[in-house]
Amino acid sequence: MTSSRPRLFSTEAVVLRHSDLGEADRLLWLLTPQRGILRATARGARKPGSKLGGHLDLLCHVRLSMREGRELHSVSQADTVDAFRGVRTDIGRLSRGLYMAEIAQRVSVEDAPAPAVFRLLVNSLGWLAATESPDTLVRWFALRLLTITGFKPELGACAECGDTLEPDDHVFSAERGGLLCPACRSQGADLLHPASLGTIKVLRHLARSDYPEVASLKIGGEERRQIERILRAHTNAVIDRGVRSAAFLDEIRDWPDVGPVPGGLRSES
Amino acid sequence: MNSNFTPSAAAPVARLIEAFNRLPGVGPKSAQRLTYYMIRMPREEAEALAEAVISVKDRIVLCSRCLNITEEPVCHVCTNERRDRTRICVVEEPLDVFAIERTRAYDGLYHVLHGAISPVNGIGAEQLKIRELLDRLRDESVKELILATNPNLEGEATSMYLQRLIAPLGIKMTRLARGLSSGADLEYADEMTLVNALEGRSEVMIDGETPAG
Ligand SMILES: [Zn+2]
Ligand SMILES: [Zn+2]
Repeated sequence: MTSSRPRLFSTEAVVLRHSDLGEADRLLWLLTPQRGILRATARGARKPGSKLGGHLDLLCHVRLSMREGRELHSVSQADTVDAFRGVRTDIGRLSRGLYMAEIAQRVSVEDAPAPAVFRLLVNSLGWLAATESPDTLVRWFALRLLTITGFKPELGACAECGDTLEPDDHVFSAERGGLLCPACRSQGADLLHPASLGTIKVLRHLARSDYPEVASLKIGGEERRQIERILRAHTNAVIDRGVRSAAFLDEIRDWPDVGPVPGGLRSES
Repeated sequence: MNSNFTPSAAAPVARLIEAFNRLPGVGPKSAQRLTYYMIRMPREEAEALAEAVISVKDRIVLCSRCLNITEEPVCHVCTNERRDRTRICVVEEPLDVFAIERTRAYDGLYHVLHGAISPVNGIGAEQLKIRELLDRLRDESVKELILATNPNLEGEATSMYLQRLIAPLGIKMTRLARGLSSGADLEYADEMTLVNALEGRSEVMIDGETPAG
């Protein structure tokens, strides 16, 4: 038993995941800059008219006042910093935002500072709301996220022997964590992904640039397919049992846009 | 396994606590409280409760048309000749049908999806009753589809998904107006709610009547 009053703290956060709790409460997985992933309850958040509810939807960037708990904290106040409206009103952008949020969640740990991951996600959701090239953004995001969390794929030299790679076509092994030289290529039974010289150049460019510099980068069809396969394989090698929201992203990706449906329940007559 | 309850509790007690604990929204504390309440319950009451649980399992089925829960093969809304068969209101859960029915403001039919798309939790369109909805749209003479999923990201994702899927069929689609809830303070409203409320604003009529759509 402790006699001290529960500690209050305030933090910025992005809501990464939530589930229902009790009659009208919500359980939240939050990404915060100072303490990484935090789990918190929001009382009454599912009731219409709740002061908290509307702010605590998925992918919302919020400022929170929280009461410290042992494992579960509880949200006492919430204010929206950015709801990324452009992301949540377009199913294509939404599917990519959820994918980015899921991989951010799954490479982060509870209660450990993650300012770089937090900033990366907030900036990327902001860009996602308006960018003309959402797929380039997702690829850049995955590469940057894995780099800052210690899972950087080796793109400079051979991942196996460290030899310099000749400017030529090579292969990528997710199992060995990067590109392989011709000599190491045949050593092992792992799945090898083709990486043409063009693909390697684009990957290196994505890895060393900030998103605005690569936003208008034109990437050829074959390079796009190779990069997609390489980054997916690398991400899935890092994230146990794969990224759940990838299926939705893939399903949505090639649908034509039909525009919004008028709001309001109105009778015709 | 949850070990929060007293390990010394008699086996039937522990079993009931565990059964309650598995229910949505019931934590270990509430499970204990419910169990000890039932120990003190008169036998007839306990029997009535057990019987009610069993009859829900034995008698309740999904309506073969709208997939709402019902005791008949086809529910009373779907069989009611006076309901407007040209409209289907799509909701996430059976409870949403009850909520809309309580208003008595809607006389069309329903379709219950039994969930919303939730990619992060691995719930995709194929786990919802969407195929059944498409079958109805092909067979029935539906002219308007009202998308009444929850006004949150997953509900919106589900609505947008249905819009894209159904648009080629040329059926008119509408959505519930989203905005401020009655009794809420404007200052506490979040950005999305305010934007939606602004977009869905209606003309103020001098005589207090609401304008026709
Ligand atoms: Zn090598
Ligand atoms: Zn029915």
